[in-house]
Amino acid sequence: MSGVVITGWSTVSPAGVGRAALTERLTADVVAAAASTEPPPPVDVTGLSDEPLPSTTGHALVDFDVRAHLGRKGTSFYDRATALAVVACGEALSDAGVLVDDSNRARLGVVLGTSLGSFRSTSDYTRDTLVQEKPYLVNPVLFPNTVMNCAAGQAAIRHGLRGVNATVATGPLAFLDALRYGTNAITRGYVDAMLVGAVEEFSPHRAWNTWLTGRQVPTGEAAAVFLLTRAEQPAWAGPRREAEVLALATAYGPGGGESADRALTGCVSRAVRRAGVDPAQVSHVLTGETGVDDTDEFAPACAALGHTPTRTRVGRLFGHCDAATGGLALATFLAAEPVGARTRLALLTSRSPDGGTAAAIIRGWSGAGPADR
Amino acid sequence: MTQTDPRMAELREIVAEVLELEPEEITETGDFAEDYEADSLRAIEILARIDKKFKIEIPQSELPSLNNLKAVYDAVVRHSAGQA
Amino acid sequence: MNRVVVTGLGPVSSIGIGVSAFTDGLREGRSGISPIRSFDASGFPRRNAGEVPDFRPETLLRRIEPTRWGRSSQFAAAAARLALADSGLDPATVAPDRVGAVVGTTSGESVVVETVTAQQVEGGFAAMDPELLGQMAAGRLAHAVSTELELAGESLTLATACSASNYAIGYAYDTLVTGEADVMFAGGADSVCRWAHAGFFRLGALTADACSPFDRDRSGILTGEGGAMLLLETLDHARTRGARIYGEVLGYGVNCDANHPVAPDRASIAECMRTAHRNAAVKPEDVDYICAHGTGTPANDSVEAQAIFDVFGDRVPPVSSIKSMIGHTMGAASGFGAIAGALAITHGFLPPTINWTTPDPALAGLDPVPNTARETGVRVVQNNGFAFGGNNAIVLIGAVE
Repeated sequence: MSGVVITGWSTVSPAGVGRAALTERLTADVVAAAASTEPPPPVDVTGLSDEPLPSTTGHALVDFDVRAHLGRKGTSFYDRATALAVVACGEALSDAGVLVDDSNRARLGVVLGTSLGSFRSTSDYTRDTLVQEKPYLVNPVLFPNTVMNCAAGQAAIRHGLRGVNATVATGPLAFLDALRYGTNAITRGYVDAMLVGAVEEFSPHRAWNTWLTGRQVPTGEAAAVFLLTRAEQPAWAGPRREAEVLALATAYGPGGGESADRALTGCVSRAVRRAGVDPAQVSHVLTGETGVDDTDEFAPACAALGHTPTRTRVGRLFGHCDAATGGLALATFLAAEPVGARTRLALLTSRSPDGGTAAAIIRGWSGAGPADR
Repeated sequence: MTQTDPRMAELREIVAEVLELEPEEITETGDFAEDYEADSLRAIEILARIDKKFKIEIPQSELPSLNNLKAVYDAVVRHSAGQA
Repeated sequence: MNRVVVTGLGPVSSIGIGVSAFTDGLREGRSGISPIRSFDASGFPRRNAGEVPDFRPETLLRRIEPTRWGRSSQFAAAAARLALADSGLDPATVAPDRVGAVVGTTSGESVVVETVTAQQVEGGFAAMDPELLGQMAAGRLAHAVSTELELAGESLTLATACSASNYAIGYAYDTLVTGEADVMFAGGADSVCRWAHAGFFRLGALTADACSPFDRDRSGILTGEGGAMLLLETLDHARTRGARIYGEVLGYGVNCDANHPVAPDRASIAECMRTAHRNAAVKPEDVDYICAHGTGTPANDSVEAQAIFDVFGDRVPPVSSIKSMIGHTMGAASGFGAIAGALAITHGFLPPTINWTTPDPALAGLDPVPNTARETGVRVVQNNGFAFGGNNAIVLIGAVE
C-alpha cells in the first residue's frame, strides 16, 4: 500500500467546471449509457474554431471562459490546455480545503499528464515561421506555450506551488503515470502533497488528429486534478479523505496481440498484489477503451482479477480525451454515489498504441464523497 | 500632435492587448514595468506587433528606453521618418 | 534502500557519438556548432546550431525501424543502445520487467509536428499524414528505448523542458532505490526545430555563431540536439556482475520558481541546490565541480552564478558549461551534463567552457574552466538543470569508494 490519500479533486470537463457539474451530469441514465453501446450525443463545437473541423460536433466545454474564473491579468496568453488545467488545479485545491501560503508552498507540488502539450500552440508557432514574411517575428509571450510543461508551470505560478513540478507526456497512460509520479514524490518525502492530474484541450488540430487516425469516438477535452497527500496528512492538506491510492504498476509490451495483453494482465496482478486486496473485491474497472466492441483493456484486466466487475468507459461519455481519460475515469468513479458496501475498490487501466500499459487500484470511501460537501 | 495622430490610438490598443489591460487604463507616461507589471517578453511583443502593423522595424536594442506609451510613439515617429 | 550507480553512457552529440568520441570532444574543447541543415534557416538572422549531421540511426539501431519513429525517438533509442553496449550488461541476465526507460524532453517529436504543420499549411488540416500523426506523441521517446532494447518495465517520458534529463535520472534513481527495478535507462532527447530557433531568437536569447557562457560579452544560446542516455543500476547489481562503475547517483532535488514562465529565479535556484545537497547528503564543500546549466544568456549565467555564490559562499568550485561546445540540447542538456560529470569523475578532468575570452566583473570569483580541459581529481559533481516553467532539477553524482 502506498499510504497516499486523495483529499479533494475537481474536473473541468464537457459537463462544466467543478465536481458538482460532473456529479450532476453523471445521472443514473448517463452512467448506464457508459456501459451500453450508445454514447450520449456530443455538442456543436463549430464556435471553437475559425477553421474547418472534420465534424461539427465534439465533447467540449464550449462556453468555457478562463477570465470568468481567473480574470484577465495573466491569462490572456494562456492556451486552452493551460487554462483548463490552471482552473482545475484551483478548483481541486479549494475542494480539498487547501490554502496555499508561505508555510506550505514549498511542500506542495503539481504533476500533470499530456500527450504533447498543446498541439495547437506548437503547430501554430511553427505555422507563423512558415507563412510570415519575417519567419522570426513570432510572439515571445506565446513561446512558453510551445513547451509541454506550460500548464504545470503556469499552475505553479497562479497558485504559488513551489514543490516538485513535473509533466509526464505519455498520452493515454499519462494520468496513471502522473499518479505514480506524484505518489512517488510524496512517499520519497520530496513533498507533503501533490496536485496530480491530466489535461487535453479541444482544438481543430486535435479534432483532425482524432479524425485522421480513425478514432471511434469524437474528440473530447478535459482537465482532471486530484489533491494527494500522505495518509498521516499534514492538517493543511485538507480535512477529508475521499479515497486511497493503494497501488500502481506499469509495464511495456509492444507489438499487440497476446504478449501485449500479458503485459497488462501482469500489470494488474502486480497492482492487486501490492495493494494487498482480494481481487474478488474489485467492484469497478475503469478503462480507456472507446470502441463499441473494444475489450483491449477489460479482457486482460478480468483475466487477472478472475471475475468480471462493472466496467466504465469514460471515453464513451466524454469523447477521446487522450491524456485526461484516466483522470476523468477516476473522477467519475468518485463522483458516483456510493451504494452497498462501505468501501469500493476500483481498478484503472490504460494502454497506449505502442505497448505501454498501466494499472492502479483505488479505494473509495463511502460517505466521503459529494454527500458531505 | 500626439493627441490627433491616429497612430497613438492604435499603439494604445496594441499596448493594452499585450499588457492585458483596457486601453483607457494606459496613460502616455505610465511605466510599463513599474505601473503595468510588464516584463521584457511583453515589450518585445509590442515591437513585433508594431513591425507587423506599421511595417516599421524598431531595433531590439532600443527596448530599454521604450518604457511607456509616449516613448513607443516617439520611436514609431522617429523610425517612420527614417523610412520615408 | 539501494545505492544507485552509473555503469553505461550513451551520448549521441554534435561533438561525438559514443562515449569515447564524446570524451575526446570534451577533453579537446571541440565545437559542434555548424550551419543549420535540418530546416531552411535562410529567413532567420541567425543560422547556426548544434546539429548532429553524422547521426545515422540505421547504423546504431538494431530493432526499431527508423522510418517509423521521429528523430527524437531515434536519438533516445540510439543513445540507450550505446549506453547498453558501454555497460557490458548482458540483457539476458536481467528479468525484462525489472528494466525500464525514463526519457526527458522539451519538445518531443518537434520535427514530426513541424512536418505535419507544413502539410497543413500546404493543403489544410485534412492533408496531414496519419502515419506521421501517429509518430507525434512524446511518449514514443521512452517507448522507442523500450522497444529497441526489449524492456518490459516502466517506459516513461518526462516533459519538464530543459531540465528534463535530470528529472528522468532522478525518477529512475528513485525506482532503483526503492527496489522497483534493477536497471534503468535514463536521460533525454530533442531535435533542432524551426519553432524553438524562432522563439529563442525572438526572446533575444539566440547568439550568432559561438556560445560563450560566463563571458562578460555572452549574448545567448545556440539550439542543439541529440540523445543522452545513462544506464543506472543498483550498486549490488553492478557489483554482482563485476561492472565498471563511473560513479554513484547520490541524490537529486527539484523545485519550482512559481514566478515567471521564462526568467530564472536566484532564490529558487539556490533553494534547489540546498534541497539537492540535503537529499544527497552532500555538503557544499564536498562538491568538486559544477556542471552548469550555463546557457550563455546574460540572465541565466548571472542568476545561476549568484545562486552558486549564495550557496557556496567563499568556496566556489569550478563551474563550466558544456553548452559552449554542443549548444543547448534542450531536454537532453542535463543528460549530457550527467554524462560529462560521470566522465569527469572517472577520468579526472574538468570539461572546459570554450569561446571564453573576457571575465565578467559581475561574476568575480567564478572559475569557468576557460577554453582548456583541466586535469584534476573529481569526487563529487553537481549537475545543474533549469527550465522554462521554473522547473529546476539538480543531480549529484559521486565517486564510488
